[in-house]
Amino acid sequence: MILWAMPDAGAKSREQYNTLVSLFKEEYPSADLTIRIFTRNVLWRRMFTIKNPTHEEEIPDVIQIPHYWTALLVREGVAANLSELDPGLSLSECLLPLKAHCYQPGTKDIYSYPWWFDLSALHYRADHLKLVTAHPEQDLATWQGLLNVCEALRETFSGVAGYYPMQNSDWRGSLSMRNALPCVWSRGGGLLSENRSETLVGTKNFKEGIHDYVTLALKNYMPILRERGSLGTLASGKASMMISRKQGIKTFNVRRGLRVRTLPVPATGEESHAYLSGMNLFVNVRSEHKKDALKFIKFCARPDIQLRYAGMVEAFPAFEGAFEQFIFSSSQRLQTYTGILSSARTLPNITIMGTIMEILKRILAVCATQIVENRFTQASLDRELDLAAKEVEYLLSIYEG
Amino acid sequence: MLDRKSYTLYKFHKQLNQSFQNKRSLLECALPALRNLFKLDRVYFFDWQQERALLSLKMMCKKEYCMDMQEDISVLNEPVFLRQLLQTGIAETTDLSYPALYVLVKWQRPSLELKAGEVHSYMQDRVGVLRLERFRKNRVFTNAEIDLIKDLGLEISHNLRNTEIDQAKNQRLRVSTALNDLSTIFASSLRLNDGLELILKGVQKYFRFDRVRLYLTDADGSKIKSVLGVDVSGKVTQEDGKNLGEGETQILKEVFDSSATYRSVRSVVYIPLKVQRNKVGFLTFDNLLSRRKIGYLDFISLQQFATQMALTIDNARLFERVQELSNYDELTKLPVRRYFNEKFAEEIYRSKRFDLTLSLIIMDIDWFKQINDGYGHQIGDWALKEVSRVIRTGLRQTDVPCRFGGDEMIIMLPRTNGEEAKIIAKRLKDRIHAITLPERYTDGEAVHLSISQGISSFPMDGETPEVLLEKADKALYVVKQNGRGSFAVYREVAEQAEAAVEAGTETPAEPAADASAAKSSRPGK
Repeated sequence: MILWAMPDAGAKSREQYNTLVSLFKEEYPSADLTIRIFTRNVLWRRMFTIKNPTHEEEIPDVIQIPHYWTALLVREGVAANLSELDPGLSLSECLLPLKAHCYQPGTKDIYSYPWWFDLSALHYRADHLKLVTAHPEQDLATWQGLLNVCEALRETFSGVAGYYPMQNSDWRGSLSMRNALPCVWSRGGGLLSENRSETLVGTKNFKEGIHDYVTLALKNYMPILRERGSLGTLASGKASMMISRKQGIKTFNVRRGLRVRTLPVPATGEESHAYLSGMNLFVNVRSEHKKDALKFIKFCARPDIQLRYAGMVEAFPAFEGAFEQFIFSSSQRLQTYTGILSSARTLPNITIMGTIMEILKRILAVCATQIVENRFTQASLDRELDLAAKEVEYLLSIYEG
Repeated sequence: MLDRKSYTLYKFHKQLNQSFQNKRSLLECALPALRNLFKLDRVYFFDWQQERALLSLKMMCKKEYCMDMQEDISVLNEPVFLRQLLQTGIAETTDLSYPALYVLVKWQRPSLELKAGEVHSYMQDRVGVLRLERFRKNRVFTNAEIDLIKDLGLEISHNLRNTEIDQAKNQRLRVSTALNDLSTIFASSLRLNDGLELILKGVQKYFRFDRVRLYLTDADGSKIKSVLGVDVSGKVTQEDGKNLGEGETQILKEVFDSSATYRSVRSVVYIPLKVQRNKVGFLTFDNLLSRRKIGYLDFISLQQFATQMALTIDNARLFERVQELSNYDELTKLPVRRYFNEKFAEEIYRSKRFDLTLSLIIMDIDWFKQINDGYGHQIGDWALKEVSRVIRTGLRQTDVPCRFGGDEMIIMLPRTNGEEAKIIAKRLKDRIHAITLPERYTDGEAVHLSISQGISSFPMDGETPEVLLEKADKALYVVKQNGRGSFAVYREVAEQAEAAVEAGTETPAEPAADASAAKSSRPGK
C-alpha cells in the first residue's frame, strides 16, 4: 500500500512518518505501507494525472489532501466513495467545521476523511516583546499595532545582523495566501459571495486585506525569498514574531527554553479571524488495496493516534475526543485557542477552490518577486487581482453553474 | 593507476551511468551518493528558474532518504553566496550558522549563434544549485573536498541534461504513438460522432487535459453548429450551437482571425480546423482547473493531428451531404421510397420484437390532375411543396413521411394505433384544407387543397410492409369512393363492409380488382 503525503513536519517529516508506519504495523503486522513525500505543488499536479497513469507511473492507494480539494477529486472521479466501502463509516465525532469538506457536495457520501487541522495565530517571543511593549495583547490586537511593534523591534535589534521582526512561516519563504486570508476576512472581504455564485477577489476589501499582509514584506519586516536557516527565525533570536498555522507553543517552550506566547492574528478591520485548514485522506479509486487503505484511514482517526500524530506535526486533532483531550491538557492552550477557534474561518468545499488558491498563490509569487526587485506597486497588484476575479468568474460559470 | 580523486569520480560516474526515467529519479540516486561520499548531514538540490531569477528547492536528502521540500531563494536578493558562486562555481560563505557549500550545476553547450571572428564560445546554462550541509560537529569542507565536489557537480549536470533529453524523446515517442492509435480508432469508426467522441476522450486521456472541446461550424463556417466535449470527469457532453453564450460564439471569429499561436504561459489552446479555405470548426484544449501549462511539444503534435482531423470531418460531412441528397426528394424534401422502405422494414421488425403498435397513412392530393391541367404544372408543384411542408412540420420526430410517387405520400407512425393515427390524419386534413391556391392563378376564387387518406395498423391489419400498404390503400379507395377529402381506417371500413354484407344491403366487392381499377383513375397516376 502506498501513501502520498506532504512534508508536514518539514525536514523531520520522514522520521515522523516512519513512526506512524511502525505504529500501524504494530497493529497490522502484515501491512505493507510505503510513504512517498511530495510538496503540495507536486501533489496538486498529480491530482490531475493519477486518473490516467502511464504504465511506469505509481498508483497510490491513500493520498493526503487539503480538505477543500475533496469536491474537485469527486468531480474528477479520482476519490473512492468511502461510504460505499464501509457503510458504517461516520463523521459524528469529527469537529464541525471539518465535516462539510468530507462529503461530495450536496450528498452525504463521504469521499475523504479528516486527519488533522491547523489554525493561524500570532506567536511572539515574550523576551523580545518585553523590550518594546508592556501590553503586547493590546498592542498586537490590530494590524497597525503589529506594524508599530515591528518598527520598534527593528530599532531595538538594529545591531543584530540578519534580524527581522517577523519570521516568514511560509515553507517557500514567499508570500502565502494562507497567511493573507485572515487579513482579507478581517477587512470584511472574502473569496466568494455567500451563495458562492460570484467572486469577491476583485473587491476593495479583498485588495486591502492582501495589501495589509504584503506590507510586512514591503516594509522589510519579514524576509521573503531568502535562504532559510538562521536568518530571521524565532529560534535563532533573529526574529521576534511569526504568523503561523502550526500550534508552536510546545515546540518553542521545549526548544531552547524560549517563552513563546500566542495571540489571535491582529485584526486589519473590525474583528480578527483565524484560518482553519484541515488535512484529509482519501482512497484512490484505482487502488487495488481499498480495504487496507480504509483501515489505515480509520487507524489515523483513532483518538490515541490522533493525539500522538497531531503532536508530532504540531497541529490539532480533527476529532472531538482527541481534540478535547488535547486542548484541556494545558490551561494556557485552552485559554489561547478557545477564542482563536471561535473566530476561525475555512474555505468552502467546491470544485474550483484549489484552482482559486493556485491563481492567488501565483499572484503573490509575482508580488514577492516584484518586491525583491523594488518594482512593486499597489496598482499592479490590483490589476492582477482584477484579472484573477475575471478568471474565477469564468471558472464559476463552467464548474459551479 | 588512478589517483584517489579520479577513482572517486569514476565510481560516482559509474553510479549515475544508467538511464533515469526523470530528473527526480536521477536526484534520488545522486544526492544520497554525495551525502555518503562527504558524510553530509543534508544535501539539497535547487532548480535555477531563469525567468523568475529564483532558486527553487526541488529535493532534500537526509540520512538514507530523499524527499520533496520547498524553499525559494531570489537571486535578486543577492544572497551572500551568489557572487562567489557565479564567479567560481562554488560558494562557502552563506547566511547559515554551520558549514555549508553551494555548488553551481551548469550545462555547457556550444553557442548556436557564433558571430564571425569568434574563435570559440560557450554558452552556459545554469541548471541548478546543490547545497551541502554539515551542521553536526561543525566540520568545514577541505580544499580537496571542494575540488572534488566541483567535478561531481559537473557530472550531475551532464546526467541531468541527458535525462532531460531522454525524457523529451520518450515523451515525443509517447505522443506519436498515442496520436497514431487515435487516428486508427478514428478511421475505423463507422459513424462520425462515435469517432469524434473516441478521439476527444483519447486526446484528453493521453495529453491529460482538463477539458477537450470540438466546435463544429455550419456548412459556410459562419456559425457554431454544435459542440462536442469531454469534461474533467471524462464524461462526453454535446451542446447545440444555439445554446452557446455570446463569448463562445465570439471565439469562432477570433480563432480564425488569429490562427493557432502558442504562448508558453497558456493553459488554454485553440486550434482551428480548416480544409483549404473551408472552416470546419476548431478544437480547444484547456487546463483551466489544474492551471498546468500546455507544452509546446504537445501543441505542435495536436496541430498536426488537427489537420488530419479536419480533413476527416470534412470528408464525413461531404459523405453525409451526398447521402442526404440521395435519400430525399428534391421537390418535396421528403424521404424517397427506397429510404422509406428501409426504415419501414426496420420499424416493423422493432414493433414485432418489442410488441409495439405501428400505423401507416397513405394519402394523395384530391383532384391533383385537374390542378395540374387547369392551372399548370408550376401550380401543381407548388401544391405538392405546400402539402409536403405541412406534413414535415406537422409530424412527430419519430414519424417517417415519404413521397411514394406523383402526388401520393405515405407516413409511417411508430408506436401508434388506429385511433391515434386518426387524430394525426384529422390534423393533417385540417391544415392542408387551410391551404388555398394563389389567387392570381384562380381569378380571385378561393380554391382549397384537400387530401384523402387511408390508414392501416400493425399488427391488427397485417404484419408485413406489403400487407399494411395494401390495406391502407384499400381504405383510401373507400374514401375516394365516398367523395374524397377525408380519411378512413381499414379495420372500420372492413367491418362496415362485412356488416353490410350480413345485412344483405351490399354484395362483397372483389377488393383487389376494385382497388387497382380505382388507382388507375386517380390523378397523377
